[in-house]
Amino acid sequence: MPRSRRFFNAQNKRELLLPALFLAPALAVLLALSIYPLIYSVTISLQKETAAGITWGVGNFTRLFSDGFFWTAMVHTVIYATAALTCEFLLGLGLALLLNNQIRGRSFFRASLLVPMMLPTVVVGVVWRLMLNPNFGAVNGTLKQFGIDTESLTWTASPKLAMLSVIAVDVWQWTPFVFLVLLAGLQAIPQEPYEAALIDGSSRWQTFRHVTLPLLKPSILIVLLLRTMDLLRVFDQIFILTEGGPGFATETISLYIYRAAFRFFDFGYAAAMSFVLLALTNVISALYIRFLEARDA
Amino acid sequence: MLSTQKTQKRFYVPFVSFVHFVALLSALLFALAPVYWMLTISFKTEGEQFASPPPWFVFTPTLEHYYDAFVTRSFGEYLLTSAIVAVTSTTLALIIGTLAAYALARFELPFKLNRRLSLWILSTRMFPAIVTAVPLFLMMRDVQLLNTRAALIIIYTAFNLPFVVWMMRGFFADLPRDLEEAALVDGDSRLGALVRVVLPLVAPGLAATAVFCLIVSWNEFLFALVLTQTDAAMTLPVGIAGRVTQYEIKWGVMSAAASVAIVPILVFALALQKYLVRGLSMGALKG
Amino acid sequence: MGIEFRNVTKAFGGACVVDDLSLEVRDGEFIVLLGPSGCGKTTTLRILAGLETATSGDILINGERVNDVPTQHRDLAMVFQSYALYPHMTIAENIGYPLRVRKLDKADRTARVQRVAAMLEIESLLERKPRQLSGGERQRVALARAIVREPRAYLMDEPLSNLDARLRVQMRGELKRLQHQLGTTTIYVTHDQAEAMTLASRVAVMKKGRLQQFDTPLNIYNHPANRFVAEFVGSPSMNFIEAEGVTKGIRPEHIQVLTVPEDGAMEARVYVTELMGNETFVFVSVGDNRLIARAPAEFRADVDTKVWLRIDSEKVHFFESATGRILPQRRNGATEDPK
Repeated sequence: MPRSRRFFNAQNKRELLLPALFLAPALAVLLALSIYPLIYSVTISLQKETAAGITWGVGNFTRLFSDGFFWTAMVHTVIYATAALTCEFLLGLGLALLLNNQIRGRSFFRASLLVPMMLPTVVVGVVWRLMLNPNFGAVNGTLKQFGIDTESLTWTASPKLAMLSVIAVDVWQWTPFVFLVLLAGLQAIPQEPYEAALIDGSSRWQTFRHVTLPLLKPSILIVLLLRTMDLLRVFDQIFILTEGGPGFATETISLYIYRAAFRFFDFGYAAAMSFVLLALTNVISALYIRFLEARDA
Repeated sequence: MLSTQKTQKRFYVPFVSFVHFVALLSALLFALAPVYWMLTISFKTEGEQFASPPPWFVFTPTLEHYYDAFVTRSFGEYLLTSAIVAVTSTTLALIIGTLAAYALARFELPFKLNRRLSLWILSTRMFPAIVTAVPLFLMMRDVQLLNTRAALIIIYTAFNLPFVVWMMRGFFADLPRDLEEAALVDGDSRLGALVRVVLPLVAPGLAATAVFCLIVSWNEFLFALVLTQTDAAMTLPVGIAGRVTQYEIKWGVMSAAASVAIVPILVFALALQKYLVRGLSMGALKG
Repeated sequence: MGIEFRNVTKAFGGACVVDDLSLEVRDGEFIVLLGPSGCGKTTTLRILAGLETATSGDILINGERVNDVPTQHRDLAMVFQSYALYPHMTIAENIGYPLRVRKLDKADRTARVQRVAAMLEIESLLERKPRQLSGGERQRVALARAIVREPRAYLMDEPLSNLDARLRVQMRGELKRLQHQLGTTTIYVTHDQAEAMTLASRVAVMKKGRLQQFDTPLNIYNHPANRFVAEFVGSPSMNFIEAEGVTKGIRPEHIQVLTVPEDGAMEARVYVTELMGNETFVFVSVGDNRLIARAPAEFRADVDTKVWLRIDSEKVHFFESATGRILPQRRNGATEDPK
């Protein structure tokens, strides 16, 4: 099939006018509001306001190396992302495998499971602050009924338990997503490989390892990619739940950047940190995508 | 249905069903109970809120918090702002994005621009919000658009644009070209063919995309937080958050506002759950 | 309303889909572009419609060069292979679409749609949607949509190929009658040589983008310009025998099968016979060659029996084995100049 069959021909210069017109507004908006801010950000990250006026230099970047808060925030982010991702993935995969059969009332079930991830993050924060409230929250209330002493279980106010709490909230919100995506992936797998494996005498574990997993790889990678990106830049829920506290126990990198910009008004430094975060997410997504393309090949 | 599961079923029918049932029920409860809890808080008097053990089902409902939130306080305004911003930015994103998507799907551009532009547009969605939030704050401050609905509308449009382009491009590509060619031969202009022939046929996809954008705009928090500090342009999420970070927390008001905030979501979720998995996985998988 | 292709070429990357095509269509003619798939006939049609641009060469309508005129202004109507009916519109709206786009007022539109629907006997379908119609009905709607605007010419891209055999034959007849009634220039693309032979006033046979022969169906049948045309047209195909750089071609109807030997008749052995009902096809082997002959319906012969073939020497065609070109031989009638 000749290639140009797929498109209207745009070979003359005049023919390019219409698509250019169609594309212009979108490109203009994105350039102004997604690209230009980055450039703006670069500029201010290289500036420093002193008594003498504005000086240029990489001071903001070098400061990163010695800033304890920055590295703590990075560590928190990594812990948060890894823990949440692992739980969400294992739970989601387990549920998907378990429930791969026909489920009666599937629409209702699916709609209900979507609720957590469709909620505004603020509301998620509110919901769980209520649930986790040490005094009247449902969690402690229920635990008390089972005779457990909840005196020290102050959840989001406890330096030891705060990180666990926010991770648990994320797991609550996003496991359904992982579940649904993996379920869709599982159901897209055709029957034949399983029948072949059965005839070949493969055990359940072997079938899982050699048939299910490879065919599920694309879904797995996509869901891992999307979740990782979201987890690395998490802000909303933690802001509501703990505001980075108690102290700075749950301050992730986004929260620290926010604090630098809007509590200390040190925009240059915040911008510098933003770029580190941006670089990090770019590298990771590039790695994932390479994995993904390698599968397709 | 997996044939391996089928053979198992023959032997373990009761067991498998029971495990399924328990898992299903647990998942459902786990997902919905906390939301239900919040709903009850919004309807409980302050006394019953702090009761121990906490009453899950039996309590005397009251509407005082809703009244407090929406009539006495400004949550009604926040609601209005959220609605206006969501609808306007979604409309703009749809118009601008659909045109761009059509161009990318139907016209062959030089220098492999079709693929390159699509990927570039998509990549702008991948930025962590805080990375653009800081400079955008400064930019808006420079043009004195802080604390305005306009600023939010502009930014949310840019926010939703990549998604619209990505989704609509897929829908356009799925449509056979015959129909547009027939329209052209029949004498219609490209734009006319787009409006009269193509758009009616992608209407369901357009609707799903629209709803998705509405939900995203409605839920958005970070940009709204950064760009609005006064009641003039505060959206519902920021309003709710404000109540939380103050030292005197009125749980009833907060949960009333939050409960109202989730109503549109629940409605849409039920209506569109078929499309949502596809949308959320960026079209990589069919829901 | 004359249409002319002047040295039109269309190339994709390195491949030449249409190769230096020159063709002139006279007003009111029914031209068929005939050839196997991939020969460039559909691309040629689409170039004329403006849906593809020619890499070089000119396309003229009524003497006017239209290469740079966009599709919507060329005033040509097209019937697509898939019919391309607008699924979200009723049949009436489908047919009326070209008129609506030209901003005709509603009353006018309705009148013309009615008229055309009556002509094609689809009035009862006007309020339905395309998905409710059968293949034959959809085809008529596509035709109606083309006719309603009274364009300069009709372009048809294998419009009958999606119909079952019986319907195809029926629609063929109706199409021919319709075109006769309307008298509009028509350019029709097909790979089915029977359609070409029955519908066309002239046939353009194409192979790999090049025009092989452009003539009336009868001339193409009786005086093919080269081996490809000779083999492509006619069913069952012409028989070919190679000998010393020359290929001899003879059509099955010009071979008579005899059960008794005759002076000058070739000896052959029956390979198989096919009883068609109205005639019998006899497959015979002569040495290494296998030939098909047409025999009367009553003809019977067992496999492997000996028969004798009387060949009408005046109907034998000679081709150069290497190039396939026709070799002019002593024959009555014109020797065609192969392209």
